[in-house]
Amino acid sequence: MSSETLAQPLGGRIQWLRRPRGIARRSPTFAAGLIIILVYGFVALFAPVLTPFDAINAFPYHVLESPNGRFLLGTDGNGMDVLSRVMYGTRYAFGIAIPAVILMVAIGVPLGLIAGYKGGILDEVLLRILDVMRSFPAIILALAVVAATGQTLVNVVVVLGLVEAPIFARVVRAEVLALRSGGYVEAAVAAGNPVRRLLFVHIMPNAISGATAQIPLRMAWAVRASATLAFLGVGIQAPAPEWGAMIRQGAEFLISGQWWVALFPGVALVGIVLGFNLVGDGLHDLLDPKSKTASK
Amino acid sequence: MSLLEVENLHTHFISRTLNDELRVAKGLNGVTFSLENGEIMGLVGETGAGKSLTAMSIMGLLSPPARIVDGSARFDGIELTNMKREELDQLRGNEITMIVQSPVSSLDPLKRIGRQLVRIQQVHQDISKAEAHQRAVEMLRTVGIPNPALRTRAWPHELSGGMAQRVLIAMALINSPRLVIADEPTTGLDVTVQAQILDLFLDLVRERGLSAIIITHDLGIVAHYCSKMAVMFAGRVVEQGPVRTVFKDARHPYTRALINSTPSRVARYGHVRSAGGAPPNLYDLPKGCHYRDRCEFSADICATIPPEVHLDSAHLASCHFSLNVPWAAEG
Repeated sequence: MSSETLAQPLGGRIQWLRRPRGIARRSPTFAAGLIIILVYGFVALFAPVLTPFDAINAFPYHVLESPNGRFLLGTDGNGMDVLSRVMYGTRYAFGIAIPAVILMVAIGVPLGLIAGYKGGILDEVLLRILDVMRSFPAIILALAVVAATGQTLVNVVVVLGLVEAPIFARVVRAEVLALRSGGYVEAAVAAGNPVRRLLFVHIMPNAISGATAQIPLRMAWAVRASATLAFLGVGIQAPAPEWGAMIRQGAEFLISGQWWVALFPGVALVGIVLGFNLVGDGLHDLLDPKSKTASK
Repeated sequence: MSLLEVENLHTHFISRTLNDELRVAKGLNGVTFSLENGEIMGLVGETGAGKSLTAMSIMGLLSPPARIVDGSARFDGIELTNMKREELDQLRGNEITMIVQSPVSSLDPLKRIGRQLVRIQQVHQDISKAEAHQRAVEMLRTVGIPNPALRTRAWPHELSGGMAQRVLIAMALINSPRLVIADEPTTGLDVTVQAQILDLFLDLVRERGLSAIIITHDLGIVAHYCSKMAVMFAGRVVEQGPVRTVFKDARHPYTRALINSTPSRVARYGHVRSAGGAPPNLYDLPKGCHYRDRCEFSADICATIPPEVHLDSAHLASCHFSLNVPWAAEG
């Protein structure tokens, strides 16, 4: 290795410009997903500017109007503009998914690290507890807990986060087990690193590629789950512009032919879930070039 | 007081079989040796003799099912075997350091080597980042890495095996330890690089007056670099003493077999004197002398545990015949 070949990739700031194109070439899936999510994110950030009306501004004389020049996606049963409500809905989607996933990571990753590193009884007990949590269908568990604890936004977030944390714990634990014995981890122990440092500085960065690929997938799940809860009438309630709640309201009008009330929030929901899943699959491929299998 | 005193160290692997019976693999069965300040000791023996296990027991790197069941290891008079993790962390990487096998996989793949060299100083010393970095660059230069200031920004995967080993040596020496344990430091490197690395490493060790234990199965390395040697077999040190004495006057049949199986001896005597045979089953060691099943001189008395015979103040061998070796007549 000559010093030039070593110097070149180290010195170049240009790398950062080349990078996005490189990533897009290596994983078009990731790029496509990212673009979708960025569009949704843009809408969420600038909803007040972009929307023609306020999300809960009712026009009593324009109830259930089909899509037209003034109400591009029609109006719902309360005379609220569907387009504006769908656009504001992105705020609920991100507002629930992001904190819920942060919570999953904050609980799951440390548990996985400790369980994997310490092993023994502690590992066994933690895993059994996580198994018990996983043995309930997540949605039903979330449904029961939210219904029982009070139907606030915070509760929805906390419950979704808790219910899916075991996934992160398991993914991280599996990688820690592979790293724990031998190799640089042993060298790091021999160098006198305290356990805390060992876990978070040396093991964690090498053990979270699986968990990183899970993040967008869990985001997709969280959006879907919160919509499902709202659709079932638990959690966020109308007239809040939440897609699940809007679909639920619109479902009543499907029979009488007013399809637009339910369809457009549904399309928005499908779009964001698709975006997150594409990002997740792409990330999986990018982080693990050996495996070409797409996860769910 | 010696710098390192290992006494009667027993490390066993205790596990359960599928039908729930306890199963004990006796990895170390009473290892005893000591190391003075400034001494370089070669620890030799065949695969499975417990060389690395001895090092790991001293460093507190054992993880279940391995455990120290008896004996002691004292560093500078301080008992290591029952030390708390926190206290041990003060010692490891600071006073006692280790150079492990497989250099490339011993570096954290996600940290630049400069950062790793800086952090190992900061873990043990109150030192500013700039100063630590400065020392890291100097250390890399000392271990013969060209263009060290630039190389601190290299990732571990960008290094060749020899370079990675140099970096590991730099990491092992940067905190000025008193004892360095090198566990087969040159496995996987080609012979010219091996010689370079060992020359470099031992020059640095001698220059700084450190003590070192070199674990190897290459007697040539021991003869060339060490002042003292210990020969291990089935978890025991069967013979130890000054390198010259042991090579000239081996008093344990296993040592003799090892020495006679080196290529130069084979060339001289014209036939292969193999030290052959499989290592003994650690689950079911022979009673008495562990070497007896492979020993060409074994007799009935070998079923009893051989005494540790002090041939002179430094030369020890554990064989019933050490004082009166059966091969003396052969020359």
